[in-house]
Amino acid sequence: MPGWLIVGLKEVRDHSRDNRALGVAALYALMGPAVVFLVSRSSAVEKGGPRLLVALMSVFALVSAFTSGMHVALDTAAGERERGSLVPLLLNPVSRLHLVVGKWAGVSAFSLVGLALTLVGFTLAFEWGGVEPPGDLIVPVLVWIVCGLMPLALFGAALDLFAAASCKTLKEAQGRLSFVMFAPMMVGMFLVFFPGRLGPWSFAVPVIGQQALIGAGLRGQPISPLHAGLVGVTTMAAALLIVLATARSFSRNEIAAG
Amino acid sequence: MLDVRNLEMRFGRVTALAGVSFSAADGSITGLLGENGAGKTTTLNIVSGLHRPNRGHVVVDGEAADSPWHRRRSIGALLDQKGLYGRLTVRENVAYFGALRGLTGAALTRHVDRALDIVGLLPLANRRTEGFSQGERMKVALARAIVHEPRNLLLDEPTNGLDVPSARSFKAALRQMRDRGVCIVFSSHLLGDIAALCDEVVMIARGRTVAQGDAADFCRRTGCTTLEDAFMALTNVDEGRTCQAG
Repeated sequence: MPGWLIVGLKEVRDHSRDNRALGVAALYALMGPAVVFLVSRSSAVEKGGPRLLVALMSVFALVSAFTSGMHVALDTAAGERERGSLVPLLLNPVSRLHLVVGKWAGVSAFSLVGLALTLVGFTLAFEWGGVEPPGDLIVPVLVWIVCGLMPLALFGAALDLFAAASCKTLKEAQGRLSFVMFAPMMVGMFLVFFPGRLGPWSFAVPVIGQQALIGAGLRGQPISPLHAGLVGVTTMAAALLIVLATARSFSRNEIAAG
Repeated sequence: MLDVRNLEMRFGRVTALAGVSFSAADGSITGLLGENGAGKTTTLNIVSGLHRPNRGHVVVDGEAADSPWHRRRSIGALLDQKGLYGRLTVRENVAYFGALRGLTGAALTRHVDRALDIVGLLPLANRRTEGFSQGERMKVALARAIVHEPRNLLLDEPTNGLDVPSARSFKAALRQMRDRGVCIVFSSHLLGDIAALCDEVVMIARGRTVAQGDAADFCRRTGCTTLEDAFMALTNVDEGRTCQAG
């Protein structure tokens, strides 16, 4: 079994027993669906229609991609240093890249499960709110999930891990990850409330690309397979670059000395 | 068998090692003795493959092991950080490291059982390590370091914080491994531990090796009657290297 898979499976086993962190992650994942459900019962939905709810959903789904794996990233990077288990781990004949890819795989697994929980929650929120999603939005939303949100969950996992890896304590990492979450939330909200047309470049930028994709669907424009593919590929490429940068930081003497 | 030659290491402007050399034979416990900050931990960090020295060489079992990867593969180490995964059981903690060293299936189970048997933790094998005492944690960490049955084992102040019974059983485990031919390098600033356990002692002061030999040899060389006096005479370079002079 390759080293990264051993590390990834250990992270999944270890963190699936962390009931408190799982509970917090589930709360974060269901926060968006709860808000969408409340809005669906208010008079705002009569004014904005189901498209308003889908727009709102897009922001929460973006945030979910970053928050679901956050606690695992915190523990597997900064927590590992804080409790003194990083040095023993680094003493094994496994490359830093394998260690980081394994940790990324573990965090990504929780990110994807959290994202799935969020999406199931949205489906139930629409169902229970008695809101019928517009028929022309079904395909764009599915494309957005597959080409936008799933790669974004992996990107979010990589970014969470990168931010936490350079911190010596959980407390320091928590502060840093708050900024990591804040950025996509602000970008997402800005693009929902000020939906100006973005140039084709926007599809090549993680987070903005995801919003550009769903934005085109909300405006009733057909989704270009090229644009959808570009969002997925560039988001994944950015995630891989971040993973490489994290592995590089793990190789420095200071990390072990830390 | 370990042969460490002229290690030098700097962290920024701080010189941590300025020439550490020693050799450690199979089937013996070699003690690294030095005051706090002398360079013992840095030496073990380099030999274990955690750090790359600025200069110097490490030879493991007669083969040059200049790449940290080579050293990590052929050495087991229990350094100053000994953190465990609290949500995993003792067995899972040890098996994780065994798997990372390439052990699988029945061989992994056999190695984990043997390591837990050596440290006396088989009865607790299926308990989560959260809430373990310092002694129990140390034993899990040792089992994790020896799960692949390394020919060379490095230990950095392993008895720190252990109560008397834990320290005693820990030392018994080390002697058992020594008797099976393992080369053990043991760092400590506690003369009692060094005197009780080690066959050979390497004294380190200010990042340099100042002497290697056994306690009787040090006393003879310095004219001191105790290892403590000999240690002071040999490491306190400014005040001379003999008891008579000091």
